[in-house]
Amino acid sequence: MKQTIRAIGLASLILWLIVIIFTATLVYSAFQIGVVFGEMQMSTSEGTATLSLPFSIDNKGFYDISDLNITTILLDGNGASVLNSSTIVPLISSGNEVDTMHNISISLDQVESNSLYYLLFNDTTLNVNESLALKYAHVIWLRVFTNFTIPWGAPLHNLTIGEVSVNAHNTTHVKAILPFGFQNHSFFNLTGTMRVEIVNTLNQQVGAGTTNMDAPSHSSCETQMEVLVPLVYGGFKEARLYFDTSVFSYGPMVMPIG
Amino acid sequence: MAENANIQPLFKKLLPRIAKAIIKGALWFVLLYFVPLFIVSTLSQFAPEIFSSFTQILSVYVVIIVFFVVASELTSGTIFQHVFNIGKALILMAFIVFALEGGIMSIDFENIRILADLRIYLIILLAMDLLGLAKSLLQTINFLSEKAESKLQSPSPREY
Repeated sequence: MKQTIRAIGLASLILWLIVIIFTATLVYSAFQIGVVFGEMQMSTSEGTATLSLPFSIDNKGFYDISDLNITTILLDGNGASVLNSSTIVPLISSGNEVDTMHNISISLDQVESNSLYYLLFNDTTLNVNESLALKYAHVIWLRVFTNFTIPWGAPLHNLTIGEVSVNAHNTTHVKAILPFGFQNHSFFNLTGTMRVEIVNTLNQQVGAGTTNMDAPSHSSCETQMEVLVPLVYGGFKEARLYFDTSVFSYGPMVMPIG
Repeated sequence: MAENANIQPLFKKLLPRIAKAIIKGALWFVLLYFVPLFIVSTLSQFAPEIFSSFTQILSVYVVIIVFFVVASELTSGTIFQHVFNIGKALILMAFIVFALEGGIMSIDFENIRILADLRIYLIILLAMDLLGLAKSLLQTINFLSEKAESKLQSPSPREY
């Protein structure tokens, strides 16, 4: 019996020593991890605006970091999801450094399909839910959550069509001049085309035209569009606008004219 | 006079035990309070929101350990020593579960919430405490069996 008690005592002592050393080195190692964030970059391609946050993690501790997952969820005021971006780093071994990027891609085409098209025209505030999850030393799961709000600038804020003027063109057609204006409050440059279809009071399309748009971020854009319509057009009712830009495609946006 | 004569040997018998209990208690107090407190205060400089809350938990832990060390020393050589050892193991298990918030610890500061899943770590600590409990139970059984054996080996003179 005494031998057994002694053996258990010795085993217990050794195990406690291991746990104490493990705990001490775990805390020490956690303070040896260096995280450096780079400057945020922005790019647009194929209907998607991407914000990229470069960061590097230098794991100088004794233990591995595994299953690192950074997630950004953007919600509008009603709780509807605007975007959900995740970056996963499977393993950062002890003594290694990993350079990677957290990409936050905003596809405004998706925004349209989620009935969030008002974000194209109205400035608002978006809720950002940021979370970071990782497994440290293959034993401890760590999750860090934060949420904050960011202002959203609409790319087509205050889109208006001014008073339409009609000028003579030839014996069969007249020239309708539509003055357009909007402010690009968004963080991306808006380049692309805008197509306009003019509908008369009889709900018939009487003319259409396309114009190029180029509105840098945080700038106003004012342009005039000339559309040929038949001499007897029967009075203008509305304009249907179709936008095809580098970041989104949207239409028709119906605006009364006349 | 007769009362004094009875008290003196008892006092002589208890004095070394009390002195040993005080010394052991003080040593454990220094080892478990001042050393970890130094580590916690050093870490608090880096992240005061996280580590400053551990001081209270550390104090409770030290009170439990020192109480049981002193109680066990004062009652050494009796069954109560083993009762206190078993009690210490059980209370420490409950304390570890309480201190680690059932294995899921959450800390809030400013707008950030940190969740640490320490369930595997908690299981390791509980398993080791169970080992301590097993040791205390075996010591109790050993103590009782030795006591029973000593009674059997020294029968009263009347039996002969």
